[in-house]
Amino acid sequence: MMSPYHPLQLVLGLMVWSVWFVFLYGGLSVACQFAAPDPVRGAFTWINVLGLGLALLVAAVLLVAAWRCGRASRAPEAGPAAGRFIASVAAAVYALAALATLGIALPALMLPPCL
Amino acid sequence: MTERDGADNHQRHRELEQVWGNLPGWGALAAVNHTSVGLRFVVTGLCFFLVGGVLAMLIRTQLALPEQDIVSAGLYSQLFTMHGTVMMFLFAIPVLEGVAMYLVPKMIGTRDLVFPRLSAFGYYCYLFGGLIVLSSLLLQIAPAAGWFMYTPLSNARFSPGPGADFWLLGITFVEISAIAAGVELVVSILLTRANGMSLNRMPIFCWYMLGTALMIIFGFPPLILGSILLELERAAGWVFFDVAGGGDPLLWQHLFWLFGHPEVYIIFLPAAGIVSTLIPVFANRPLVGYRWVVLAIITTGFISFGLWVHHMFTVGIPQLALAFFSVASMLVAIPTAIQLFAWLATLWTGRVRFQLPMLWVSGFLVVFVCGGLTGVMLALVPFNWQVHDTHFVVAHMHYVLVGGMLFPLVAGLYYWLPHVSGRLPSMILGRWGFWLFFGGFNLTFLLMHLTGLLGMSRRVYTYEAGLGWDWLNLLSSVGGFVMALGVAVVIVDFALHFRFGRRAQPNPWQADTLEWATPMPVSAYNFASLPDVGSRHPLWEDPALGERIAAGEYGLARIQHARRDIYGSAPVSGRVCSVIHLPSNSWLPLQLALSVAALCICLLLKVYTGALLAVAVVLFFALRWGWHNGAHPRASPVRVTDPVDPPLHSRTRSGPGLWGMVTSLMADGTLYVALLFGWFYLWTVAPRWQLPDAAPLELTPLLASGLLLSLAVLVYCRALTWLETGSDRKALSGFGASALLGLVHCLVLVWLLLSAPLRPAELAHDAVLTVMLYYQLLHSGLATVLTLLQLQRLRLGYVGKALPYEALVLQPLWLYSLTVFWLSFAAFILLPLAWTGTS
Repeated sequence: MMSPYHPLQLVLGLMVWSVWFVFLYGGLSVACQFAAPDPVRGAFTWINVLGLGLALLVAAVLLVAAWRCGRASRAPEAGPAAGRFIASVAAAVYALAALATLGIALPALMLPPCL
Repeated sequence: MTERDGADNHQRHRELEQVWGNLPGWGALAAVNHTSVGLRFVVTGLCFFLVGGVLAMLIRTQLALPEQDIVSAGLYSQLFTMHGTVMMFLFAIPVLEGVAMYLVPKMIGTRDLVFPRLSAFGYYCYLFGGLIVLSSLLLQIAPAAGWFMYTPLSNARFSPGPGADFWLLGITFVEISAIAAGVELVVSILLTRANGMSLNRMPIFCWYMLGTALMIIFGFPPLILGSILLELERAAGWVFFDVAGGGDPLLWQHLFWLFGHPEVYIIFLPAAGIVSTLIPVFANRPLVGYRWVVLAIITTGFISFGLWVHHMFTVGIPQLALAFFSVASMLVAIPTAIQLFAWLATLWTGRVRFQLPMLWVSGFLVVFVCGGLTGVMLALVPFNWQVHDTHFVVAHMHYVLVGGMLFPLVAGLYYWLPHVSGRLPSMILGRWGFWLFFGGFNLTFLLMHLTGLLGMSRRVYTYEAGLGWDWLNLLSSVGGFVMALGVAVVIVDFALHFRFGRRAQPNPWQADTLEWATPMPVSAYNFASLPDVGSRHPLWEDPALGERIAAGEYGLARIQHARRDIYGSAPVSGRVCSVIHLPSNSWLPLQLALSVAALCICLLLKVYTGALLAVAVVLFFALRWGWHNGAHPRASPVRVTDPVDPPLHSRTRSGPGLWGMVTSLMADGTLYVALLFGWFYLWTVAPRWQLPDAAPLELTPLLASGLLLSLAVLVYCRALTWLETGSDRKALSGFGASALLGLVHCLVLVWLLLSAPLRPAELAHDAVLTVMLYYQLLHSGLATVLTLLQLQRLRLGYVGKALPYEALVLQPLWLYSLTVFWLSFAAFILLPLAWTGTS
């Protein structure tokens, strides 16, 4: 597993978010093209459930990573200030990425997918 | 300091000036120094700004009163298209890049950017591309389809003249410049910081520029691809955006806004970097929440890419997808708000000096917040539908762009003016300029929100009286002219200050960053010795640092072999690990840019034999450029006196070239991913997507070609091992075999292209497939040619056991070509085969 002091941690959280977002939008488009659910079902469709479930999973992974980096930034063995800086900023980036993941998936609770 | 020491120091400065200075007279055109190139970008950008401003005044004159016919509908379309194009592509981005090119090396305590010739090449691409675009206006054949060139309006049927071609080719030319600057800035910021300047000590402006440069690298390629595809559709009739052949005009919108929305932040972030630099200086305290601001920069860099569809809310996308982008559009307000609160907290807790730059920063805070608020309104889908394509959107856009870019830019220009001229501007003229501009701007655009809400569409060249828009338009036009007066006063102030401005003291604003530790006006070499940095605010910690640097107390104080040397440092810790030798003045950037311009003009005139000739000239100059590197006698030949601790970068296994290659491939990869997106988009969404009756590409030769490429890459990697272990003969044959295999692979691809029954002018499927094949051919061909050059360099002793660097730089290109080949094979050949039985 990558060290919490590695500079790539600064962008990894939002890279995960980006991939998830592209997957969500692309997946929705493809699913609506080839297997659109009946509009009368409203928001309770397999597409919405899958989207929300994935969002929860991705957000959970991101929050764990945020906790790991946050803890590492306060650890006594954290080493030079640059390492602690990277870990603390990365923790916040992971947390924001988790928030963005959940925020973007939220409309799936209310809106039908393909209308 | 004794008299003798003083004379010695003086002599040392003269030597530095001689090595780092530009050639005299016309030789200045061969300048590659970042100070010269950065200033050229800024001055050229400001000239384009004046052109864009004149176009805006013509637009406002036409709209001042109802039913005017000062300009015709056609000319009006050219005016607003060129106004948007000039301001976005020829002013906003280049001028900010110029500011960054000028400042970044000085802020990180070094003497130049890592690829000086690339900077100069970028400038000439920008200049020539801009002039080509502008020339269409003088010839009265300017593009008229709006600055985002939506298809089908911009296709050959509805925009038959050459106007759209000028846009597509000229702007692509300018974008080469932007990507060059992006690569340059990323590598320079990561690899050449002063000794001890770890990431957490980096000036905040450099964080902003790092974020911006990476955004350019990922943001511009989709538009470059879109422009190439649209030009191919216009010039050769290939189908990409035409529904009848299986294309889709919405693909253009996706490609354009994949670039276009991040571009707003590409413009905003450097400007916010100026604000984050100036506010602490004028508040006399460090920036509150440095880490939070870094977080905001990183977050903006990513989330701003997730908003592109909010420009397409009315095109018929499912509501749920609209909601995703609506939420993303609101999410981006979080990092912006973090920065705003950090600035307010810094001002709140500091002792603010309201000097001229601070006045423009205050204007920024007011105007940009208003623009941000209307941005959140526009992120709401139902409201967006209501005001779509009205003057409300025009007003919002100007609040964001002028507020978010122009106000901070002028603040920055006033702030760094003494650095360039050694003189201070006039406070009286400066204040007049600000208030005229601020008042005029708000009069123009605040009212325009109302005009939009009352239903006035953007881009209408006139309107009937009595619709309730008359007085609003008149006042907007008056405001526009007041704003223009403000610009004129600022220009006069800038011009006069060079002659009449008071002499500035060193570090006149009591700043904390290293650029103020250079001589004023700045010298060609920035620093007479390269300082050590132990703090985020070096000049506040040690106000006498500049004098010690000038006295040569730090690193690389002496010139060696008339070579331009800077330190290379570790990306995180900033510890010095190598000496990077940089190229000196060179005509190659101008020669290469001129040949690219010739190619561009030949394409515009549809003289395709001339274009082929121009490609050959481009290739010649590009390869010549690569030849004068490393241990070549014109660069840094091997000498017994070469430094070993730290060593010259070309004698190591890593360095700016390798980082530059990887960063360039990131941009290249984004273009390829955009092509893949286009393929899947058309496949799934285009209403008349058709597959050919039979697979146009034969599977066996394609597979054979892929295997040859795989073998070429394997042999190249093996040859590298031989090179590093000193088996020169084996390495020679390895490079030779790799190039031969690459050549055969290319020949098979050419044969496939010539023999396959591809119909790109009839089927979008075949058109995308053909582009993919050309893309592969270009990369494999380039890797093959460059390997042949490595072979020759190994023979001449420019590459070897102690000099493996260049061969290592080439390796990622081979690996990239291989990855692209097999990805394409899977996406373009196997997947359709599996899906339908036809590729």
